[in-house]
Amino acid sequence: MSNIIKTLDVTDALPNLKKVCNLDEGRISGEIFYSQEIYEQELEKVFARCWLFVAHESQLVKTGDYITTTMGEDEVIVVRQKNGSIKVFLNACPHRGNKVCFSESGSTRGFICNYHGWSFDTAGNLVGQHESGIYEASEFDKSKWGLKEVAQVDSYKGLVFATFDPEAPSLKEYLGPMTWYLDALFDNQEGGTEFVGGCIRSTYECNWKIAAENFVGDILHAGWTHDSAARAMLGGAVAKVSDFPESYSVNWNGHGYEFALDTVGNVAVLGESKLNRYVHTIKPSVAERLGEFRSNMIASVSSATIFPNFSFLPGQNTVRVWQPRGPNKIELFTWVVVNKSAPEEIKEMWRKGAMMTFSPTGVFEMDDGENWEYCTKTAKGKVTAKQDLFVGLGMDTLLEETPLPGNVYEGQLNEANSRAFYQYWFDLLNAKSWTEVPNRNKGKAEAE
Amino acid sequence: MFTKTPDLPIASMEELFELSAFLHKEARLLDEERFEEWLEMLHEEIHYWMPGIENRRRENPLKEGFYDKDHMAYFDDRMRDLQRRVARFRQPSAWAENPATRNVHIISNVEAFIAPEADTYMVCSTFTSIRSRGLDEEYVIYGRRYDRIQRTEGGLKLLKRLILIPNATLSCKNINTFL
Ligand code: FES
Ligand SMILES: [Fe+2]
Repeated sequence: MSNIIKTLDVTDALPNLKKVCNLDEGRISGEIFYSQEIYEQELEKVFARCWLFVAHESQLVKTGDYITTTMGEDEVIVVRQKNGSIKVFLNACPHRGNKVCFSESGSTRGFICNYHGWSFDTAGNLVGQHESGIYEASEFDKSKWGLKEVAQVDSYKGLVFATFDPEAPSLKEYLGPMTWYLDALFDNQEGGTEFVGGCIRSTYECNWKIAAENFVGDILHAGWTHDSAARAMLGGAVAKVSDFPESYSVNWNGHGYEFALDTVGNVAVLGESKLNRYVHTIKPSVAERLGEFRSNMIASVSSATIFPNFSFLPGQNTVRVWQPRGPNKIELFTWVVVNKSAPEEIKEMWRKGAMMTFSPTGVFEMDDGENWEYCTKTAKGKVTAKQDLFVGLGMDTLLEETPLPGNVYEGQLNEANSRAFYQYWFDLLNAKSWTEVPNRNKGKAEAE
Repeated sequence: MFTKTPDLPIASMEELFELSAFLHKEARLLDEERFEEWLEMLHEEIHYWMPGIENRRRENPLKEGFYDKDHMAYFDDRMRDLQRRVARFRQPSAWAENPATRNVHIISNVEAFIAPEADTYMVCSTFTSIRSRGLDEEYVIYGRRYDRIQRTEGGLKLLKRLILIPNATLSCKNINTFL
């Protein structure tokens, strides 16, 4: 269809990119957090090509329900169609490019541009214009001037993703075996999950990768960075992760999930005993649904990022996107996810608990922001930016003999997921097409 | 701004003076990091609420227009929650509070009304919160507050606070203060 967006001509890789990281040697440099040149490449080669999280299906219940968000820095409208499917459009009028929809969410029969009154139905078709007669005189073909539609939209267990790239692999292939782990939070009960209302947006002066990488596999920081919050919420220190008898870091295509099997370590920091009890109560049914192993992950000490910028914490149930806004700025969009079947009181406790811990006022998040901003800002120094940064923990921890799917590494105090995240990023910046992205996955593509 | 204030009888000049002094003292205690004394100014039944602001079309309002009591918030706190926040500030391991954040809270546009509940005032005010951290970080948040302040045996206590900012996107990384 003519209204599918044009994709970008992919430019050549930066000539000196090789110097910014070497993951086999376990090093990166601060330059990747501060360089405008690298950022421009990311918008084109990461954000204009990868599958990006755009909505949860529970935000789009009825025909015409919409939300607006961004894919990279491109503004988009995500809207529920008459046939139940979801379409994603550029939030830019095909006449002069004005923004078409200014509200962040709502329900509508269409969108009307404020500039010259072009109006579009929820399927993106141009259905009318102010002074429509004069367009007819110019033999204007309305069917060619609908809202520009994003190439591919698909969802997994309520999570809606979209990609600008018609050549991108399917969402299923892109996520690979990570879906098996996503189920521990997003499909642990009949009926799945929903977002509680609203979205909190805030601004960090940091690079998007430092935040995404924190969730992909940096539990190491928690015991130190979040000591004050843990003491405030629990009256004691964060659980000592190195004491857990069993924990893993799993990755695939740059996505990563690190987790222990302690069931309630994450939810416990919300300081609501009823939430801990809820997790224990549903655990047997989760074991039946997903097996014993994943029933230990419902709200355990864990975190995850789906490459490039969609992250969540099981247990705290915060879900977020780190929206890039230049090399040293992000807008953070956060939501709270709950099981649809959970009692209202439990949903309400999660809404408040997620906000109390992980939000701009969250006692945990406060100490994160400070760290991420200065990891970014120090790289303003030309000399500093060129120095090696260590990302080499757990080099030889790949588990070859494991029934678990994905690239499975032993222990969550491990930088294997961080390396895999930067490696995939690096591979994309070097690849002119998807076929040039090397397959570095070593583990099983599916659960046994 | 967003909430239509109900028509209530205006408090006396003396009461307005007393309530203004209460708000000014509160602001000063926060600037001086006297959080425990600040908690003392709050009613034990306090509801301290700062809803998230959503950018919605007029014909598609939320329950309260730009916000909703069931939606996400910056604060939706009771006494226990506020005590926990203060407890974090007080930890030697609150790394992001050392060096300290330097605060100035400016309170203005104070209006006082007699609330329908016994011994209670409805007090409207506006605020500017200026924070500086490190050598050069500066964050300014401003907005409007709708308070219920009750006269108790222990003196005036803040029973309810609704804090509304105009921003749908917070222009800084956190709110490591009270407003
Ligand atoms: S820019 Fe939208 S109608 Fe002209
Ligand atoms: Fe953190």
